[in-house]
Amino acid sequence: MSEKSIISVLTSSPATTIGVLLVTIHLLSALLAPLYVPYGVTELAGPSMLAPGSPGHLLGTDVIGRDYLTRLVIGGRTSIFVAMLGALSAVVIGGLIGVSAAYIGGFYDDAIMRIVDTKLSIPGVLFVALCVVGFGRSIPVLTIVIAINYMPGALRIIRSQALTQVPLDYVKCARLRGESKLAVIIRELCPNVMEVVVVEFALRMSSAILAVSALSFLGLGISPPTPDWGLMVYEGIRQIYIAPWLVLLPAFLISTLVIGLNFATDGLANALGLDAARGLY
Amino acid sequence: MGWPMPWAWTLPGAFTERFMSLLNINNLTVGYVNPSGELVPAVQDVSFGLNKGETLGIVGESGCGKSTLARAILGYCRPGSFIMGGEVLFDGEDILQMSSSQLRDLRGQRIAMVPQNPLSSLTYHMKVGPQVDEILKIHRGMDSNAARLHTLELFAGTNLPDPEQIYDRYPHEISGGQRQRVVIAGALACQPAIMVLDEPTTALDTTTEIQVLKLVKELRQENEMALIYITHDLTLTDYICKNVLVMLDGEVVEQGQVAKIFKHPRTDYTKMLIAAIPRVDAKSGAGASLPAAGAPQPLLEVDGLKFRYGQRRSLATIFKSREEPLAVDDVSFDLEHGETVGLVGESGSGKSTIANIICGLLTATTGNVVFDGQPINTPAEKRSLEFRKRIQIIFQDPLSSLNPRHRIETILTRPLKIFFGLKGKAASDRAIELLEAMELLPEHLSRFPRQLSGGQQQRVAIACAFAAKPDLILCDEVTSALDVSVQAHVLELLKAIQEKTGVACVFISHDLGVVKQVANKVIVLQKGIVAEAGPTEDVFAKPTHNYTRLLLAAASRENTEHT
Repeated sequence: MSEKSIISVLTSSPATTIGVLLVTIHLLSALLAPLYVPYGVTELAGPSMLAPGSPGHLLGTDVIGRDYLTRLVIGGRTSIFVAMLGALSAVVIGGLIGVSAAYIGGFYDDAIMRIVDTKLSIPGVLFVALCVVGFGRSIPVLTIVIAINYMPGALRIIRSQALTQVPLDYVKCARLRGESKLAVIIRELCPNVMEVVVVEFALRMSSAILAVSALSFLGLGISPPTPDWGLMVYEGIRQIYIAPWLVLLPAFLISTLVIGLNFATDGLANALGLDAARGLY
Repeated sequence: MGWPMPWAWTLPGAFTERFMSLLNINNLTVGYVNPSGELVPAVQDVSFGLNKGETLGIVGESGCGKSTLARAILGYCRPGSFIMGGEVLFDGEDILQMSSSQLRDLRGQRIAMVPQNPLSSLTYHMKVGPQVDEILKIHRGMDSNAARLHTLELFAGTNLPDPEQIYDRYPHEISGGQRQRVVIAGALACQPAIMVLDEPTTALDTTTEIQVLKLVKELRQENEMALIYITHDLTLTDYICKNVLVMLDGEVVEQGQVAKIFKHPRTDYTKMLIAAIPRVDAKSGAGASLPAAGAPQPLLEVDGLKFRYGQRRSLATIFKSREEPLAVDDVSFDLEHGETVGLVGESGSGKSTIANIICGLLTATTGNVVFDGQPINTPAEKRSLEFRKRIQIIFQDPLSSLNPRHRIETILTRPLKIFFGLKGKAASDRAIELLEAMELLPEHLSRFPRQLSGGQQQRVAIACAFAAKPDLILCDEVTSALDVSVQAHVLELLKAIQEKTGVACVFISHDLGVVKQVANKVIVLQKGIVAEAGPTEDVFAKPTHNYTRLLLAAASRENTEHT
């Protein structure tokens, strides 16, 4: 892998290039949003409610007269932030537990894997919905719940990758040097499961974005007045005959981001030779 | 000293010359696309002819293009490779121009192939009998009954014991040698004119190998097939082939009769290949360097060692309590400072298990391991730093023993830090010293293991073991993953460093020739039990146990035929 340059991985196929471009555009526009949005997200800035596009408001205003472009751009930040942080914690914590389970084995491994099985038998949407109802609708709760929801799947796949590494002689060499368990896990095993972790992260993030949007749409995710794509689709749905763009634009952005992530992940997994490890959970 | 003709069965030259060549390969070039998109030739401008009933060996080290050539003969290219030029004429017809249906008829029926690993060439989910039936049904249009009968005949013809029973077994239920025989039976099913064998015995033990080779030799005679035998082992071609083709980097460097090439190799490369063959009949190299007598106690004492697998506890073991057989049964031996003991046996004979117990990866079920007067019956984690430092192990596959994600520098400096507290510049300097002792260059420090060749990787692994300045080194099949010429170099370096440091060595190998080169004494293991033990010279000269004789016969067959 080290022989391949990052550029050649990212441009290995047209789909990958498109995916990487889509994700980059989304990330940049979300990251730099505060620098260029002209209005506040809750500012009643428009000439009227549901105004069409004009030089002052490129995409018009929403149902109570807030600048729509501003809310669209800032709304992406929330989804991306929650999904990214949730997916990252899922793969990092799940990965560490998975690798340690693979290395230590025995009862520890058995116990962890049965807990994972238990979690996997609970429908994801139900789990998240119950947690949000129980602990309240807030961004920290949502992030933690997303992380817990995606952790078992990631844990399983990273553990199975680690299992292929554990019997190799370099692990035995490390044991014979007298390295501690933690040192073997962090120093020797983790670098060798990194590829799977990266692909897992991208995969989980794309489904986390869908999950955040779906929850917001159902009224279980991010609460108003914070803008969020799923929430904006929900708010716009009653005006769909008068102002269809209120629904179509946030839906389009969700799709492009998720498609972009999936294309990029596909390309990444192909380039890293990980086809078999993808999409099992 | 004469050169007896081991090929009494070869058809007289005048007879074969009346027929035109069965297979003619003219200027064949096959290329691969490398990661940066360039087409690199793996086989370059190769030409040769093969007459009916003739035998041709193709020899070369891994990566020289011999398997690519073999596939091209069947008109097949691995994904990512292309035939760039030349022609493969079979009976006057160019295989490379054939349509896919013509190719289908040709393969298996006129030209058959026996690939290297029989386990991956048989389907797991089907019994082996029906797998051969299928070939007969498709290519020879037999019905189920006729196919079954013919398969049983083929099985009997390939010396499979009890064909009826084997017929109904799955591939994992029969041994490696039996699997390879099933594959050969399948290849013979349509009585092909040419059989291509791609390293058919590499995955097998020496004693099984000799049986399979004998079989191939007999079958070739019976069926009057032409044979192309691909191998990295020059001695095998000597045994089985009349002509040989030596390949290096995709090009043919030498071709002609085996006997002549063995006697008068023309190119340096062939000379080196022949010189690198470890011989059981060569003089033992280590015999003279016995340590001074009167040492107070041996460095290592192994006493009544027994080991049973399956001691790992988990939820699953609560439900089943089947006892595994003993993998090591009552093994005892002593080792003095600076001495080398060779552990010999086939796979599954328990030799690696013994090494793993000594270094502390496994703990003995019963028995004692005493190192320098102190018992060490604990796993490595519980031993003192001192003992961990003084016993080092080198494994078979260097690619597996070097962490693929660490640079050589990280790999080498880690033990220096743990055992000697060396850091930074001091550690790097010592690492360079270690590399140089193994004839590697300082710039290798910044490489990753995959960027080195197999021999270089193994030398790094050896350097890594010697970084700890051990008193005892365990070599677990250290050369069996390497090509013959590389193997000779690695063994030389290992010997040199052993002489310099006076380290004792437990040398594990299935290759008796290699063991004879390095060991002072030998222990022959069979299914975990010591079959025979004694000084190397004695064991090789006057083996007392049947199993030792069998191993020796298997190892010396090629060598004795020409010496």
